[in-house]
Amino acid sequence: MGMTREQILVEVQSVLVEALGVDEEEVTPDAALMSDLGAESIDFLDIIFRMEKAFGIKIPREELFPAESLLSNSEYVSNGKLTHQGLMELKKRMPHSDLSAFAEDPSVNKIGDLFTVDVLVGFVDAKLNAKA
Amino acid sequence: MKFVLVDKIVNILPGKEIQTVKNVSLSEEYLADHFPTFPVLPGVFLLQGLVESACWLVRESENFAHSMVLLAQAKNVKYKSFAAPGMNIQYTVTAKDIEETISSFTGVGECNGQPIVEARFSLRHFNLAEQDSRLAAEDAYIIEKLKERMKLLTGF
Repeated sequence: MGMTREQILVEVQSVLVEALGVDEEEVTPDAALMSDLGAESIDFLDIIFRMEKAFGIKIPREELFPAESLLSNSEYVSNGKLTHQGLMELKKRMPHSDLSAFAEDPSVNKIGDLFTVDVLVGFVDAKLNAKA
Repeated sequence: MKFVLVDKIVNILPGKEIQTVKNVSLSEEYLADHFPTFPVLPGVFLLQGLVESACWLVRESENFAHSMVLLAQAKNVKYKSFAAPGMNIQYTVTAKDIEETISSFTGVGECNGQPIVEARFSLRHFNLAEQDSRLAAEDAYIIEKLKERMKLLTGF
């Protein structure tokens, strides 16, 4: 069962509306989950659970929101920025995202801005295609 | 540990606005898990700082008429930056409307001009005795304790 990115976006929008209590219009593809939609730690579990149900996929927690396991590892974070290792690890976990701008100033405060709705859509897309 | 997410009331304009501060301390127990090598104040506690600030504004504005001042709704919450130990967060909460039993606010938390959190939210206010008249003594006790806490927050 192939889903187009548009179909995936519609489902992801509905997940975020329910999990975060935001209006549908706010969930644009480039909206960042933390800085635009107000998602934080306790929301990520809810989002993952709802996405697993909506798409029939399994999502290990570190896979979808690498930020948390990255931030907990002192090899990846130093002085509020990602280390070179941390940046490599982030690139590995977000292969479809353009991290070049972030890489110039890999401040952990900016990680929140990287996680947009579109990143979620891309993630699901990749998972569904891997299954097919 | 006690959960008090506002350390000091810096300025208060009854009915209009309140400014408070919260200093993030490494000794806050919940930071041990959030996260082990990168402690940051959980987003919900940043929101709680805004909510507590608004609660003090309501209590001052209505002269502690209600023992219960609680969050009714929060929306358009945005987390712009992490708040780490050593940071001093300045909250500014502006009242849109304060009525007898409900109030609505916009709030912002910043550290040295850097935005940390923003939200719009509303509170509801009531006394326990409204539901059960036997609880009037509890209302009085709670209000007395809140007044003491307010003195601590504004005193220095």
